[in-house]
Amino acid sequence: MTPINDRIRPAGFHVELIPPKQDSQKLEDDLGLFASKFERVMESGFTASITDNAMGLLAFQGHECIEELGLRARPDQVLIHLNTFHTKEDLDGILSACEKLGIRSILAISGDGSPRLPKLRPSDVEAKDTASVTSVELTRYIRQHYPAFTVGVAFNPYEPEAHEFEKLKRKLDAGASFVITQPIIDRNAVTDRLLSEYPGLPVFIEAWMSKKLFLLSDVVGYPIPEDAAFDPVATLGQLREYYPSCGMYLSLLGFKTQYTVIEEMAAGAARRAT
Amino acid sequence: MRIVVCVKQVPATTDAKIDPETKRIVREGTKAVLNPFDLYAVEEALRIRERCGGEVVALSMGPENAKNVLVEALSMGADRAVLLSGRGFAGSDTWATSYALAKAIERLGGADLIICGKQAVDGDTAQVGPGIAAKLDIMQAANVSSVDDICPDSITVSRMNETGYDVLKLRFPALITVLKDINVPRIPTLRNARKARAAEIAIWSPEDIGAEPDKIGLNASPTRVVKTEPPAVRAGASVRICAAPSEAAKALTEELFRRGLIRADVREESV
Repeated sequence: MTPINDRIRPAGFHVELIPPKQDSQKLEDDLGLFASKFERVMESGFTASITDNAMGLLAFQGHECIEELGLRARPDQVLIHLNTFHTKEDLDGILSACEKLGIRSILAISGDGSPRLPKLRPSDVEAKDTASVTSVELTRYIRQHYPAFTVGVAFNPYEPEAHEFEKLKRKLDAGASFVITQPIIDRNAVTDRLLSEYPGLPVFIEAWMSKKLFLLSDVVGYPIPEDAAFDPVATLGQLREYYPSCGMYLSLLGFKTQYTVIEEMAAGAARRAT
Repeated sequence: MRIVVCVKQVPATTDAKIDPETKRIVREGTKAVLNPFDLYAVEEALRIRERCGGEVVALSMGPENAKNVLVEALSMGADRAVLLSGRGFAGSDTWATSYALAKAIERLGGADLIICGKQAVDGDTAQVGPGIAAKLDIMQAANVSSVDDICPDSITVSRMNETGYDVLKLRFPALITVLKDINVPRIPTLRNARKARAAEIAIWSPEDIGAEPDKIGLNASPTRVVKTEPPAVRAGASVRICAAPSEAAKALTEELFRRGLIRADVREESV
């Protein structure tokens, strides 16, 4: 297996893919679109980062899309998100299926619930002294029972700093070995502190690839005007300059208009490296 | 063993609007979903089938687009689905709906067990399940929180009452309505979801089930909705918490939990 540190390189892009929703009225079309995006990410040498019921909206699981559509998952190029809103049976089912597919990386997150999604109970993941399961308990469970997986966790630079760093320590103590930040759109002091306190820790910076910057209002904790001008590709370029040792996690990437630019960006970086 | 599970398409509750003239729920242009309580009924039917064998038939009544909720039941694992649809059914109240569903169950060749959700979240009457049992003249238990035993000819269940639980043994054929406590509904797999979308859903008209025209539809429905209005808006009130920040945060969390605005696990996490 490639060491995790070797997988994080300046040109390393994680491309977020959202599987079709459970209530899709055009499921086959949506699956076709998912498959074409997935294959393109594999061909580009990037990593497909597949969400788990993002925003609490019921969707199909990444591993079952890969299985059902017969997609070829290159082991180091797939990251499956896994949150705490599952039954134990489903949790183990997902992890076992990912193992069989040769997937090696899991992003453990607390996640967003909904009335339709069951929440893991502490006993499901053998957690003691806690009333609820968070990404800490989930990470520990995965590392104990599925040690072949490399587990990543989220880092939110908009949370109270001391609290977030304390939480990160617990996540790392539980066995996490890489981090993905919430979206940042400029040099960020808390992220700088993260990199200086944990110099060996692989970090992915989430780059917001939608022009609709105001959608980030809830994440950053202050209102962003709907008409705020934002150039995602230029911002991504800047972030790569600010954080050359980090991988980039691209959320809401436009495959029609932005993907080729990203591929060129990666090719340029590879040329410079050689 | 044949298990019939009755499901209903309802408006997503947060979107529901009421027509001020007809006093009926405006369904056009409103997102429709499977009645949340029916998810538990489908799940219990599937669990019993997994234990005892047989088939699960999902049954609904509504406009053609109510097929979507049957697709969801099929996605969860039901073997087949039937939709009662046609002008003759339009405007049926719980009495006429119970009659139509009972006739459909007879047309299916009967059922050993019929399972319904506790109630639909749009009407909140909880009458259709017991109504079907009454029309078919079979044993019934409403508000079932667990299936304790199941034999070839009977089922033993715990039924919630005001002070606790009754344990009841019902001979087949029987009907139960189930509470949320009974199980955790499964999430459909992609494979089942694809199969369900390709499956053929039978659509039966009043004639197909041999329904007497004067027992279905608006004219056969004795219920009259006299008035429907949204609940009065409660006056807002401010709560001032004077304490050090960490204590104030704790007190706020407790207050939100006390009012049912956050779950216990969120409270624990916050504290």
